[in-house]
Amino acid sequence: MNAVDGSDHYEKEVEGKSSITGPSPSLLVIVIDTNPHAWALLSRTLPLSKAIANILVFINAHLAINSANQVAVVASHSHRAVWLYPRPPPSSEDVDMEDHASNLDNANKYRPFALIEDFLITSLRNLISTTTELDISSTTTTQMAGALTLALSYINKASLSFSDTSSSSKPATNSLETSDIPTGLQSRILVVSVSGDLAHQYIPIMNTTFAAQRLRIPIDILKLAGDTVFLQQASDATKGIYMQLRNPQGLLQYLMMAFLPDQMSRKHLVAPTQEVVDFRAACFCHRRVVDVGFVCSICLSIFCSPPEGAICLTCSTHLALGDYGAKPAVIPRKKKKKRKLNGTDTGSGRGTPVPGE
Amino acid sequence: MSVSSLKSFEYLERLPGTTFRRLYQQPSTALAIFRRMLPHLAKSFVMALLYMSKPLPLTDLTLWVHPNSKREKDQALAMLRTLHMVTISAGKEGPQVVTLTDNFSTSLRLALTGGGNHQSFGVPSSDQVIGGIDTKLLDEYARAQWEGILHYVVNSVGAAMYQEGQGPTQAVKQLLEAGNLVTRGRHTGGGITQAGFSFLLQEANAQVWTLLLLWIENAEKMGMDSVEVLSFLFMLGSLELGRAYNTTTLQETQREMLTPLVDFGLVYIPNSSPDQFFPTRLATTLTSDASALRSVSTGFDAALTADSSSKGFIIIETNYRLYAYTSSPLQIAVLALFTKLTARYPNMVSGRVTRNSVRQAISHGITSDQIISYLSTHAHPQLLKKSVAQGGGPVLPPTVVDQIRLWQIENERMKATPGFLFKDFDSLKEYEGCRTYAEEIGVLLWKSDAKRMFFVTRHEQLRDYIKSRKTK
Repeated sequence: MNAVDGSDHYEKEVEGKSSITGPSPSLLVIVIDTNPHAWALLSRTLPLSKAIANILVFINAHLAINSANQVAVVASHSHRAVWLYPRPPPSSEDVDMEDHASNLDNANKYRPFALIEDFLITSLRNLISTTTELDISSTTTTQMAGALTLALSYINKASLSFSDTSSSSKPATNSLETSDIPTGLQSRILVVSVSGDLAHQYIPIMNTTFAAQRLRIPIDILKLAGDTVFLQQASDATKGIYMQLRNPQGLLQYLMMAFLPDQMSRKHLVAPTQEVVDFRAACFCHRRVVDVGFVCSICLSIFCSPPEGAICLTCSTHLALGDYGAKPAVIPRKKKKKRKLNGTDTGSGRGTPVPGE
Repeated sequence: MSVSSLKSFEYLERLPGTTFRRLYQQPSTALAIFRRMLPHLAKSFVMALLYMSKPLPLTDLTLWVHPNSKREKDQALAMLRTLHMVTISAGKEGPQVVTLTDNFSTSLRLALTGGGNHQSFGVPSSDQVIGGIDTKLLDEYARAQWEGILHYVVNSVGAAMYQEGQGPTQAVKQLLEAGNLVTRGRHTGGGITQAGFSFLLQEANAQVWTLLLLWIENAEKMGMDSVEVLSFLFMLGSLELGRAYNTTTLQETQREMLTPLVDFGLVYIPNSSPDQFFPTRLATTLTSDASALRSVSTGFDAALTADSSSKGFIIIETNYRLYAYTSSPLQIAVLALFTKLTARYPNMVSGRVTRNSVRQAISHGITSDQIISYLSTHAHPQLLKKSVAQGGGPVLPPTVVDQIRLWQIENERMKATPGFLFKDFDSLKEYEGCRTYAEEIGVLLWKSDAKRMFFVTRHEQLRDYIKSRKTK
């Protein structure tokens, strides 16, 4: 009769339930930094075409893991952030599709893979062909903050629609709060970054980072070149993976080994970690990365030097600067005179007398 | 998706290595088996190994996995070896290394990158597609075919809800019989077997696989190659719903396979153009796993349930009352297997789960676990919501679950022992003498002094004893 005791098959039932449910599908949003300046520098070791080919295989691998897995790709270009896949609805033209029908009908390729490849390449071509010389010469950086924002908003939309369709029993708020086991759609962001300094976008990037942290979306950073303080912080804050590739030729293997496992598998795997995270911030006034700065006591804005007239540039509070620059006064420590009573030491070294003494 | 939910795939695990080697020659098959059968962690292993130039030492793999997850790692590796996806071998200088088997890795790489000339993902038809064939039509077709089969199975019990002229073809009927899902002799209560019941209570996707595997086993007897059949099925699983594919590029054996698949409702061939075939949702979700099915569940339900718009429709209360929001005769017939239905309304039936109804089901060979899993997979969203609100508690009322199990155990209390009954003794003295002797040698199971009867497990010694008494 013990076998039908209530307690044990509740658990069994819960286990059984989870085995039916299985790991929830995951959404991977890839942000590709397409900064022409940076890729030009990389062209000898890893040309863009090759990198894209590797990323495509990686995308296919991600989709192969679970047929409900989703993917989205954003390009963070030099002057704007652009959707590569899925293509935004207004710009899609049916005529465009017809040109590539031959490739799509290839019986040697799994159709979903072929579709994505085709979309991605086409929109990347479009992006490159529409980039003018003026665009390139005017800036040397990339619109990372914009791309991250696009990614986050897409994830938000996707997880809402997922929890709608899957079942009403899984409220979307569930994944926001508590629980170690995320339910519903698991999302993560992978940034393939090649550009260096992003200090001028410090505030938007940190804002997206904190939004991602709150939504429990890891931001993985794959650094092919350059070095950015803030992306390091982004991956650290969101518990993502940060990796700087020493030899970019091995991109695919890095992708497959370190970045493919989703949150479920990562619980079982030892993820590559960064030993040192650069936690420096950029000042709000000149976008300079500072080691030591001034912080407004009201709105916590950071300045590299005291703002003019000691008025905070963000919240216009009049700040009293104190006597900045003055040498801190050194107060000499008072020497304690040890008194000696009858030869025994009763100085401060001794503890409080116990009542029984 | 753990492996346990995939009973139908156990068939694959039993296959010998040579079969796997041949299966893996098709990229679509490699992809499907990878996607459908592996535990989650194993997928990460495979992908990490896929493009690795050198074999990975086993110690490195162990380092990669969190020490607390050793069990998951071992499970994953064991599964990978059963499916002949990896080999673990000792290198020249001792350390064990992990490598993917050649056939599998080549095919999976081909599947990911495309290329080659295997045509394993189906050749789309370039002919003009006739109008009017859309996903709705395909869904309806698949549903009609599949429900026909299910009806046939259910109705062998005798619940008279079978509409004439909708039944499956003769070949399908034979297949169901060969697979022991139904038996031909329609004597009282007969017709359906225990296998048939568990078949009915499975999820749609599992049902399709059960039937297909039966078919594969039968195909072997008919001289068809099981590897070819499997490869073809996996190819079907990678096709796109609502697209026309070309039959002329198929091999001869594959074209033969189309006919039974049309009977099952997996494939639709329009009458006007026999050179084209359309995979239905039953086919394209073959290799999707449970979670994927959930996300397409709205569409899948449209294919498999007649009117109910949501997946779950059963509400069961702690007082054993059951309300099922459905008007599908099939679902009602299944419910009637283990509930006493009392009322039927246009969109709902109500009834009670009683001791008798459950015992009747159990006597048909349904187990309590099957009933419970059927109830919980089809539980109404309201029940699910309640369980989520309680922090993931049980979906069904615990008392009902316990009671159904108890009712089953009730039957199991009876234990049959073969043996011999001794009765009609001449005198009380003779009876007592024999009984005491039986007790002493430890063969006595039951006795009734009033009726002068007793039951023993063995009689040789007792027979000799009685003989010796008689001669005395």
